[in-house]
Parts: sequence; structure tokens; C-alpha cells
Amino acid sequence: MKVGSRRIGFVRRDTISGWQAFLISTVSVIVGLIVFSLVFVVSDVSPLTAYREIFGYAFLSPSGFRLVLNRFIFLALCTFAFLIPYRAGLWNIGMTGQVYMGGLAAYGVVYLLGGKTNPNLEVSAWLVLPAMIAAAAAAGALWAAIAGFLKDRWDVNEIVVTMMLNFVGSFIVSHMTKEGGPFMNRGGGSEGFPLPTSLRAPVFADIPFTALFVAVLAVALHLLFTRSSLGFQIRAFGMSPRAAQYAGIRTHRMGLLVFLLGGAIAGLAAYHQFAAVPGVYKIPRDYEIVGDTAFFGIICGLIAQGNALASLPVALLFAAASIGGRAAQGKLHLAFGLDFALMGVLMIVLVGFQFLYRYRLAFRAVGVETPPAGAEAAAEARGRGSEA
Amino acid sequence: MLLPFFLRSLEAAMIFTFAGLGELVNQRSGVLNVGIEGMMLFGATVGFIVAQSSGSYVAGFLAGAAVGLLLGLLHAFFSITLRVDQVVSGMGIWIFGFGVTTYLGAPHAGPLGMERLQTLFGISPFVYVAVALTLVTWFVLQRTSLGLALRAAGETPAVAEVSGINVTRLRYLATAFGGLMGGFAGALYALYYNPVWNYNFIMGWGFISLALVFFSMWNPVVLFGGAVLFGLLWQLSLNPELLAVGVLSRYLWRTTPFIATMLILVVISTGWFRRRWGAARPQALGQPYIKE
Repeated sequence: MKVGSRRIGFVRRDTISGWQAFLISTVSVIVGLIVFSLVFVVSDVSPLTAYREIFGYAFLSPSGFRLVLNRFIFLALCTFAFLIPYRAGLWNIGMTGQVYMGGLAAYGVVYLLGGKTNPNLEVSAWLVLPAMIAAAAAAGALWAAIAGFLKDRWDVNEIVVTMMLNFVGSFIVSHMTKEGGPFMNRGGGSEGFPLPTSLRAPVFADIPFTALFVAVLAVALHLLFTRSSLGFQIRAFGMSPRAAQYAGIRTHRMGLLVFLLGGAIAGLAAYHQFAAVPGVYKIPRDYEIVGDTAFFGIICGLIAQGNALASLPVALLFAAASIGGRAAQGKLHLAFGLDFALMGVLMIVLVGFQFLYRYRLAFRAVGVETPPAGAEAAAEARGRGSEA
Repeated sequence: MLLPFFLRSLEAAMIFTFAGLGELVNQRSGVLNVGIEGMMLFGATVGFIVAQSSGSYVAGFLAGAAVGLLLGLLHAFFSITLRVDQVVSGMGIWIFGFGVTTYLGAPHAGPLGMERLQTLFGISPFVYVAVALTLVTWFVLQRTSLGLALRAAGETPAVAEVSGINVTRLRYLATAFGGLMGGFAGALYALYYNPVWNYNFIMGWGFISLALVFFSMWNPVVLFGGAVLFGLLWQLSLNPELLAVGVLSRYLWRTTPFIATMLILVVISTGWFRRRWGAARPQALGQPYIKE
């Protein structure tokens, strides 16, 4: 488009500063929230009232804020589980299944100690809690490792595999907790047996100690990707597996590595959700809705552009939207799934904004030569190798 | 006992076929769509709501197909015009579909409450349409200039463009067709195969259809074969008593189609299989085309 002696157009950019990325992500979230207002308008609710209801409950009411913090821990861990493979160019959309396996493994430890039949089990929490956590992390890691191994060995599409593993995992949870399954609550009720009181996770000021997982992992992942050579290798692999190989990086185990790490963190999320959140302490009947909440990790990771520290405020925002949304849908007579709808709308807006991460608006004087397009095409053609 | 089982499997197969044919044409033009699950969820939920509130199946099917078409165009806009990574765009459409349809459908949870659609020789007439469409798609892709142009756009878009083919327009067309088919397949699922709206009720059929396209080596006839196989597997997982009584819980049986999907993906990804059949993969699949 020409304006006077200037031409306005989009120019490809090769690098983007942290500040610019932050700006684009923030604007995309704001635009997403504005677009989502349409949902309220259609339902005859003023968007301002609705957002005040959602975020007011989430941040200003003590009971709401406690729920938000617990949800935040879960979402932040799911985000980490997504973003480690994401930095290697791989899509882990199987946090859901990894969470299921982690939850089953944690309760498996309790089951083996007889915690199903004896709610007043007297065991040392100092020994059993670490065992539960380790079992959850290991189960999540192994479940995810299936996708990583298949990716490395035969270049099997990890999106389809992790998604299939979600469904398999979901039915395994049903098998274990419903219709007489081994983990079924003795009182019936198609849910898992309750955690013995002695094995409830320590809570400080209403916050379970699992908040430490988030703090430690956020820093650790930040250091991993900014300071360590392993993090550099993962990122190089993510940009171009072939180039990474030529650069001497051992790439044949990369998928397995990142999925093991991601899956282990999803297992920790499961431990938190099913064994540490006050008031839950079991695998609930509607575990599928809890499990699918893990999908928020995808959008948090994408908005944060794979940056672990940056993902924390995003995860907090979505935790608030998720908890506040559930509260508001009752109060404002909206349908179930308001938070999932917000996730969907923000996601699609974000995809549109992806364009701005790679192109910028430019004003150029007419007649100035632009660089040859061939270089751009070559840069575009770098194979991601994540199909089929 | 066996005949109804087999007929029901064919009806499941027709849904995989419609969704898969759309995805196949889509991919043949060089555009990967991993968001087909979201398109099916949208087609299913919108089709369900429209049919239920208007009392008309025709309106439901049209609405389901139309919303799929719009999502196909959206995917085309993102991945062809804006050159967003095709996987990112597809994932976006899936989550968009999952999130929004959960909210839209929740007030309509439960059975459709309409008289069931008529059958023809015991199966939905759409099964015959699916067979016909498979053959037509094969014919168009292999024997017409449109098919040649489409395949060229997916193999070597730069060369196609030089020989006078408008790659962008063809890819738009193919992606819109993929969306249309995905939406229609979803509507067929919700209005005929499983007319009870339920949370996330497409159950991964979109992802299975995607895997079927990889399995088909981009050949519509093979795709139909795969769809029948998965239709059988799915029905078997719901009726394990046909195979074995009392072995494993009904929940564990339900995992079998998903495990089979992974196994098939593994087999077609092995070096042996790729050496033998792998050349069929559209070379430019997943890559945006930039006009020079």
C-alpha cells in the first residue's frame, strides 16, 4: 500500500526483543478478552459486570483466591510440562494423560500401604509423601516417554500419539476408580478412595507446599534455557533438528529427554491436584474436566513464548479466569465451560497474533530496494519435521 | 448379532471417511490441518443445536458443514496468508473448538430428541455417499487437471506457480474443503451416529482421522479401507462381548482404538514402510509457500 512517497507493508523480522514479545503477547491477551466480551453480550450480560465478577471473585475474595492459587500451581506445572518439549520443537498435548498416570501412581503408593481400607492409616508422612511424589513424577515421565521414544526412533507424529495417550489414560482412570475398580471409593460413588488424613500434604497459610515445585522449577527452567549447554542444545534442536545435528549435538535422544522431563513435571501437577489441594484429596468423579484443564498449559506456554518465568503471570491469569469463570457462570446464569470458552477464544486470537512475532509493519520510501526474497524463502523452508 | 455390528461399523467408518477425505485433499495441496478435531467438534455441536432448535435435520447438516467451512477458511487465512506455522494454527483451531463448543453445547447436553434419520438397506444413506465421494476424490486427484494442479501445489509449489497454477487459490480451496468435510463429519456424528450431546464427545475421532490420512499414503481408496478398519475396531471396543466375555473391564476395551492408532502410526513410520511407500507424502506438506 502506498501513502504519498512511502510504502506501508509487512517486513519479515529475524529477531524479536524480549520487550517486543512481551508487548505482542500482552496486546494479544487484551484483544482476546475484548473479543470474548461478545460471549457475554450475546448472553445479555454486560462484559464489565462479567469480568468484575470473574476477577473480583478470583482476586478479592479470600476463598476464591485460595482456589486460584491452587489452580495456579496446577496450571504452572502443566505449562512447564508443555514448554520443555515445545522448546525442542515438539508438541506435548498429552499433559492430561500424564496427569492421570501421575495421579494413579501417587494413589498406587497409598493403596499398597493399605490406605484404601484404612482411612486412619498410621505411617510416616516423611517417608510416604516423597514416595508418592516420586511415583507420580515417574509415571508421568514414562507415559510421556512413549511419545518421545517413538519420535526419536521412527519420527512418529507426537501430536497424535500424546492425544491418543490422553484417551487411553482417561479410560485407565475409569477402570481403576469406577465400577468396582481397585481404587474405587469403598462407599461407592464412582470415584477414587480418599487419601488418609495422615498423608495430606503440608499446608502453609492455606497454600500447599507444592507451590515450592513451581518456584524451584521456574528458576531451574529459566537457568536451563538461558545458562546451560543442555538448554542451548534443546533450543538448537527446536530451531532445526538437522542443523543441530551438524553442529555436533547428540539429537537421537532429544525427544525422549524432553518428554521425560515434561512428563515428570505433569506428574508433579497430578500429585498437587489430587493429593495436595485442600478439599480434594482423591481422584474425583469428574476427573476428566480436571484433566482437560491441563490444556491451559498449551496456551500459557505459547503466550509466554516458551519462557518459564514469563509463563507464571500468564498461568495466574488463566487460573483466575478458570476459577472466577466457574463462580461467575453460576451467578450470572451462564453455561458450564465459560473458562474453556475463554481459553479457546484467546487461543485463536493468539494464533492470529503469531503473525506479528515474525513480521512487522514498516514504512519505506518508494524506490528503496528490498532485500531479495530468496533468503526469506530459505529461512521459511527450514523443515520442522514434526508431521507424519 | 454380527450383521448389526458390521453395519454400525460401516456407519462409524463413513464419519472417518468424510473427515479423512477432507484432510487428505487438504494435505495433498500442501496444508496440514491438525485441528480437524476442533472442526468436527464445532460441526457436531453447531449442527446439533441448530437441528434441535429448528427441528430440521437439513438445517443441522448445513450449519455443521458451514461452520466447518468457515474454520477451514480461517485455517487457510492463518497458514497461507499470514504464514503462521500450520501446526500452531491447527492446534489453535482444536483448542478453540474444544473450548467454545464445551460452553455452547452445555445447555443442550443430552439426547437430540428427534426422530432418527432413515436408513437405506439397514445403513445410513451417507455410507453410500462416502463410498462415492472416495471414488470421486480418487478420480479428481489422479485423472483430472484440477487434481494434477492440486498435487503440484503440494509437491513443488514454486514449479506449479511457474506453470500457471495459482497455488494460493488452490490451497485456499483445498483447506476450505477440508474444513467443510470436517464440519459435516462432525454433524453426521452428532445427528446420526451418536445423537447425544456430551462433553468433548467427538472422542478424538478428528485425531484418528488425521492418523488415517498418514496411514492412507494419501490415497483415498486406502483411506476408506482404513476407515472401515477403525469403524470395526471402534464398535468392537464398545461390544467386547463379541470377542471375549468377561475379560478386562469395559473401560480397558475402550482404549483399544487409541492404542491401535498409535501402533499403525508406528508401522507406517518405520524405515521399512517409508522406503517402500513413503514417496507418497506431499513434499511441501507443512511449508508455507512464498511467492518469489
